[in-house]
Amino acid sequence: MKRLSFAVVFIFVLSIFAAPVLAANTFELVIPLPLTGKQAKFGEMMKRSYEMAAEEVNARGGIKKKKLILAFEDSGAKPETARAIVERLIDVKKQPIIVGEYTSACAKAVAAVAEERKTPYLIVASADDEITQQNYKYVFRQNQVNDHYADALVSFFRDVVKPRTIAILYESSAFGTSGAEAMAKDAAKLGVRVVMKEKYEAGSVDFRPLLSKVKAARPDVVYMVSYVMDASLLMKQIKELRVDAKLFAGGAAGFAIPEFIENAKDAAEYVVSATLWTEQLKYPGAGEYAEKYKARYGAYPSYHGASAYSAIFVVKNALERAKSWTPDAIRDSLKATNLMTAFGPIRFENREGYRNQNFMDTLAIQVQSGRFETIWPLNHASKRYIYPIPTWRQRR
Amino acid sequence: MTSAQIEVLLQTLISGILLGGLYALIGLGMTLIMGVMKIINLAHGELMMVAMYIAYWMFVLFHVDPYLSVFIAAPVMFFLGVMIQKFLINPVLRVESILPENQVILTVGIGMVLSNLATMFFTSDYRSTPVGYATDALYLSDYWKSSPIELSLSVPWSVSFVFAVIITIALWFFLSKTDTGKSIRATAQDPEAALLMGVNIKLMRVITFGLGSGLVGAAGCLLLPIYYLFPALGGQFTLIAFVITILGRLGSAMGAIIGGLVLGVFESLTATYIGMGWAPVGRFVMFIACLVFLPGGVASLLRKKRFGA
Repeated sequence: MKRLSFAVVFIFVLSIFAAPVLAANTFELVIPLPLTGKQAKFGEMMKRSYEMAAEEVNARGGIKKKKLILAFEDSGAKPETARAIVERLIDVKKQPIIVGEYTSACAKAVAAVAEERKTPYLIVASADDEITQQNYKYVFRQNQVNDHYADALVSFFRDVVKPRTIAILYESSAFGTSGAEAMAKDAAKLGVRVVMKEKYEAGSVDFRPLLSKVKAARPDVVYMVSYVMDASLLMKQIKELRVDAKLFAGGAAGFAIPEFIENAKDAAEYVVSATLWTEQLKYPGAGEYAEKYKARYGAYPSYHGASAYSAIFVVKNALERAKSWTPDAIRDSLKATNLMTAFGPIRFENREGYRNQNFMDTLAIQVQSGRFETIWPLNHASKRYIYPIPTWRQRR
Repeated sequence: MTSAQIEVLLQTLISGILLGGLYALIGLGMTLIMGVMKIINLAHGELMMVAMYIAYWMFVLFHVDPYLSVFIAAPVMFFLGVMIQKFLINPVLRVESILPENQVILTVGIGMVLSNLATMFFTSDYRSTPVGYATDALYLSDYWKSSPIELSLSVPWSVSFVFAVIITIALWFFLSKTDTGKSIRATAQDPEAALLMGVNIKLMRVITFGLGSGLVGAAGCLLLPIYYLFPALGGQFTLIAFVITILGRLGSAMGAIIGGLVLGVFESLTATYIGMGWAPVGRFVMFIACLVFLPGGVASLLRKKRFGA
């Protein structure tokens, strides 16, 4: 009996010592993201990408010999839920670094919590300019901000197209309006005259009246900010009315998704659009990641996935360089990040009123023979751009 | 006016008329149901969405052209409409309730069920129009080489327009020349008198709802080649049909046709000369103006002329 109780006490004592030792061999990272609701599609893509990266990290010995274990919490793209999740992670779980979220509204809420509790937060795919403009010390963002989204497109205009006039068509939503405003500002900088700037109702059936006006105005460039299917309908009716311009350009969203080519068919040809990342980029690991993702899930990921995938490597890199795994030490080491990832080079800079913001090259893609090809900047190009484009009459 | 301005005006009118033809067909089914049943069918757009999915899958699986699918989707929708009337709306009509319009609320529910079922079965992904001729067009300069202006006429839009006209004429013929058609009109004008004359009102209501659904089913097939498809597409077209029904006059087929054309041309002109962002505003200004100044709809103008009153 005595011996038994001794054994029990021994095991108990052992377990007290053993528990931290066991725990010390793993590092658990809980990631908040939307897995239900409207944004679930993107949340799921990011979750898969985080998991793929964690697998690779663990296959190569983990982070400082510690196994990386990921867990996910669904915020449903609701800022208040995201906030509650992160408060718990920091206060109760004492997680020294926060990664994740998708919508700008959620990222804003999380950023405020992280800053208040002095815990570093790495943003992967939220684009609202404001988030990194508030002089937050603990908030880092690796994706490009809204204001710079069309940079590549604008430099393509400046260096290749050299337009004198531009027509801007945009859908009457916050997204469309801010995209149109940004382009109007860029046009003013380039000295391009905006001959038309008109909005339309998303989901319209007939754009012909609007487009015949565009035709009469004869702009050099037609720039359109549209969501999903309006983009393809616009191009279809542009083809049908034979509205000719030097270039048709789209502000990402509806113009950079596979459904665009699928629905617009040959009318999509030669259309140029802005985007943040493509699987054709020559960054180390970009192609491998995209192929692996496609093999597993049947389709290429968008920049959301690539950024999430790379975020795990950014975290690994920061943790490896950190003096200790306390929030402040991790913050300092994140600040010193200089890492090449599948998403691109990551360096957190303070400039243009942004703090801890990674400024990366944005891209321009063009539809060539029914495929998206990266065309600009030239060092990232998968194919040479096609310019000038043929008129509609020549295309038959 | 310069030739460029004339070109814009003519092109606007062409697209307004083509759009109006399609609108008219979408509105026709709702007007018919309204006339006979005295209820607004708010599942109208969703019924069209169902027909569009039928046409879409007919093309993807069996390579049946959407225009041929009219002859498949319209009967299927007729049957679906008959079932809805028989097993859902008729039982509700019998129930005494505080709200006299609970059939209308029922149609809202039916619409929600349909669009959610579509999301479940077909996901909320956008489906592209499957046909290859979606952007084919005829150009004035191809036929008249020295034409000072260039006008284009979309092939699928024109085909849809012609189909809409044929279907409308067929409906008119059915309503005015056949026995069943006359019975339907009698039911619409005065159900009690019709009942005394030996018209089977209940059957007429069932047929009417079927007919209305079949008409909007046909409209869906005609819309598929020129638009795209997703489960939540119904609402916006229910709204358009509603405006046309009010514009035309509740329950008047001729009014629906004129209402559709007027709305189509009006929207196009608004888009060209005021701004496309204003088109939805214009639509509802017109809607309210019509209710205030012309409560009988366009049809009341027609009648005044005919009887010299």
